[in-house]
Amino acid sequence: MAMLCDPEALDSLSEDAIAGILQYWAHFCDLTDSLLSQNVPSCGLDSQLGPTIATLCDHGLASLLQDHFLQSLEEAFKKSAVKKFWQQFHSYCDASAIEKANFHEQDNWPEEILSKSLKEICSEKRSQENCLLVLVENLKSFEDRIAKRESEIEHPSSQLMSRYQLMASSVLLTTLPWDFPDILRIYFKKKLEELNSMIADGDSYELEINIHDSQNDADFYHMDTSMCGCNGLVMQIGKVVSDLRSLGFTSMAEDAYSFAIFLLLKSKVNELAGDDYRVPVLWSLKKWIRAVPLQFLHDLLGYLGDSIEYEKESLNVKSPLASQPSSFPGIGIPSEALVRWQLRLEYFAYETLQDLRIGKLFEIIVDYPDSSPAIEDLKRCLEYTGQHSKLVDSFISSLKYRLLTAGASTNDILHQYVSTIKALRTIDPAGVFLEAVGEPIRDYLRGRKDTIKCIVTMLTDGTGGNSGGSGNAGDSLLEELNRDAENQDGADFEEDGGTDEKQAWLNAERWEPDPVEADPLKGSRNRRKIDILELMVGIIGSKDQLVNEYRVMLAEKLLNKSDYDIDSEIRTLELLKIHFGESSMQKCEIMLNDLIDSKRTNANIKATLGKAAAPGSEQREMNISLDILDATIISSNFWPPIQEEELNIPSSVNQLLSDYAKRFHEIKTPRKLMWKKNLGTVKLELQFEDRSMRFTVSPVHAAIIMQFQEKPSWSSKILAAEIGMPADTLNRRISFWISKGILTESAGREPDDPSFTIVDSMADLNKNGLASEGCQLMEEESERSVASVEEQLIKEMTVFEKFIMGLLTNYGTATLDKIHNTLKMFCISEPTYDKSLHQLQSFLSDLISEEKIEMRDGLYSLKK
Amino acid sequence: MKVKILQWHAVGSWTWDAQDETCGICRMAFDGCCPDCKFPGDDCPLIWGVCNHAYHLHCILKWVNSQNSTPHCPMCRREWQFKA
Repeated sequence: MAMLCDPEALDSLSEDAIAGILQYWAHFCDLTDSLLSQNVPSCGLDSQLGPTIATLCDHGLASLLQDHFLQSLEEAFKKSAVKKFWQQFHSYCDASAIEKANFHEQDNWPEEILSKSLKEICSEKRSQENCLLVLVENLKSFEDRIAKRESEIEHPSSQLMSRYQLMASSVLLTTLPWDFPDILRIYFKKKLEELNSMIADGDSYELEINIHDSQNDADFYHMDTSMCGCNGLVMQIGKVVSDLRSLGFTSMAEDAYSFAIFLLLKSKVNELAGDDYRVPVLWSLKKWIRAVPLQFLHDLLGYLGDSIEYEKESLNVKSPLASQPSSFPGIGIPSEALVRWQLRLEYFAYETLQDLRIGKLFEIIVDYPDSSPAIEDLKRCLEYTGQHSKLVDSFISSLKYRLLTAGASTNDILHQYVSTIKALRTIDPAGVFLEAVGEPIRDYLRGRKDTIKCIVTMLTDGTGGNSGGSGNAGDSLLEELNRDAENQDGADFEEDGGTDEKQAWLNAERWEPDPVEADPLKGSRNRRKIDILELMVGIIGSKDQLVNEYRVMLAEKLLNKSDYDIDSEIRTLELLKIHFGESSMQKCEIMLNDLIDSKRTNANIKATLGKAAAPGSEQREMNISLDILDATIISSNFWPPIQEEELNIPSSVNQLLSDYAKRFHEIKTPRKLMWKKNLGTVKLELQFEDRSMRFTVSPVHAAIIMQFQEKPSWSSKILAAEIGMPADTLNRRISFWISKGILTESAGREPDDPSFTIVDSMADLNKNGLASEGCQLMEEESERSVASVEEQLIKEMTVFEKFIMGLLTNYGTATLDKIHNTLKMFCISEPTYDKSLHQLQSFLSDLISEEKIEMRDGLYSLKK
Repeated sequence: MKVKILQWHAVGSWTWDAQDETCGICRMAFDGCCPDCKFPGDDCPLIWGVCNHAYHLHCILKWVNSQNSTPHCPMCRREWQFKA
């Protein structure tokens, strides 16, 4: 061995000298063994070791000597300390998963075993270090002597200590059981939970909800005082960490406690955020981070002596979100490590909270105005983490899964859409994400038939509006939108024509590029301002369709009024005018104006006619006077097509109506009044022997029931002839009275001619009450005064049916586009073709269902 | 059983009882209004000439005022005089 080390020296050596060296070497080995076997190096050994080492070094065997010594140390360390150390954990590592869970539940596990075994192994290591020190000292004294003679010699002894450290930790790491990192994590987790509950118990950490105090730094300063109570615990942890460090487990320990901190943070986020969206949690979360994990880290680093580096640079590393300079309670200038930790923890907290909120975004938006704190939190989180795409993806998938299904009503979808718009507007004022999220909803809604109707109802009907909205209950969405618009007007100015140059310059200066996520295909102009109404109209396609639908609904509403009170309609119309322009609402305005005129005319006619007809007329006898009659007189050109039905109304009323019309003609010569007898409302009181009942019904129903005054029982056909309407219509309409239990139906002489009988007394009513419930379904469809938009469309399109048939005869087959364009090209004069592609398509599908044409692979052709 | 009518709210529509559908000048419906008006009916009445041709009042007035010599009915070229 020695020869290999120093062959040149060997050549010059005599046999004797070699023998001498070998003798010394053997002596050294013995000394080493005895030194290691007894834990405390004694003076005797020390004195013997000195000369031996010196002699061996003289012969250039210093490095050999060091290697041997280290090797012996390693053997000893491996044999005794390491084995013993790992044995402590064997019972856990060999355990099955279930048994491990039992370990986890034990209170003092792994704390007790860990601190004990760490203590043992560290003391073992320390004693070995002491042994090593003896060697080092001896080597040093030898080197000092050498150094006087030769100046350029290196000091190998100085590296011995670090070589030892490396050896010890590598021995430990190579024998490391698989589960040891887990044990450490569990240890830190338990300790931190203990610490957390200690701090939470001590009143220093209060969950303050008020976010507006957030600028107030003073809140923090009282926290450090109470930390003293926890110092014992931190010391304990610190001891374990420093022991682990000395064993070379620095990174493993750090990994373990950061794991534990993040785990704790995560559970804290979950605990704070949970399923309650009505409280902002971000602020309390931040506060908690400072109160618990950061305070702990500060104390820990302080204990380990890491935080003493007061570097000036650290001041520049600030949390980007911290509204105040990162100053810490009772610490003054934070160390760089601590600032790093703070950033890391805050980012993690934001990300966790964001993920939590994004996962529940659907529910959050369902409760929208109430859940705005959660939205606000989410906004701040996203500002920090920048993971907007995550939001978009997850929200779209939950929308598709939960909202855009056949089971959801169109109204619900629309409400959710509006809430989504509002919520996302807070998160992202530029509307880029809304664009992405809204697309699937819009596409889906376009496929639903009742979308337009629902939108219009939602916009105009007070009760249909968002009941949970911030506004008063009963406000329509339109009102809300308008209020929002008024509020916003001050804040963001639109590009009005009237803005002066200075304003324009300011606007230009405020320009910001679109976010990276923006779709460059869609111009950035239209996302400047998010107009909910605009988006709703966007679903329908054009505002004309919406206006048309509104007109039909308005007509329906107005025609069924029994008074002239149209204040709310006027208000709605005014609001719609703001959004859609006066000209498109012109017809609706005329309709409302008709009502106002009618009120005036009605009063006028009644006043003049009342006087004229006052002296004893037959109407008096019939117990019907002009007082009961009111009329709505419409300008039919401006109303949607009105459904007319033949109807013979009772002669007494008929007489009254013709008197009224005559008077109208006198007052408004040469204008004439044409009654639409099936329209309007009638308030009736049915007087039976034992009771009376009041109803508000349509004239048809009134005419039917009044026939039963003369005769208690009618056959369907005779009654129909009397009233002047087809029997099947009558049978449909009469079900109203049957459902109310006023009439009963019984089989007549012929199978298709049932007879109806009045139910006179309560006893009969009860008897028949149950049987009649099924009939109620039928009345829903029966009563419409105005043709629906679809019916109108079909009516208007039938004109073009000939064109389409001829076109298909000529071309053979044609695509939808081709038919559309051809019609547009040729039908320019009366009647003008002004339908949309979509409308044409629905008309063509009607023709298909009538088996006039057929479609294959997108090509329409005549049915053969 | 007796039926007592408490209120009968009827619906009717008015019409100028002109023979023609549309005004010969503006080609708008008589029951509508002339291009300058917003509301039909009282705001935009019809007027008959002695020749029994009817126009929107505003339309025929515009016509009459634009004629330098004696105005004629745009339809039958007879001298235009308002029917009393």
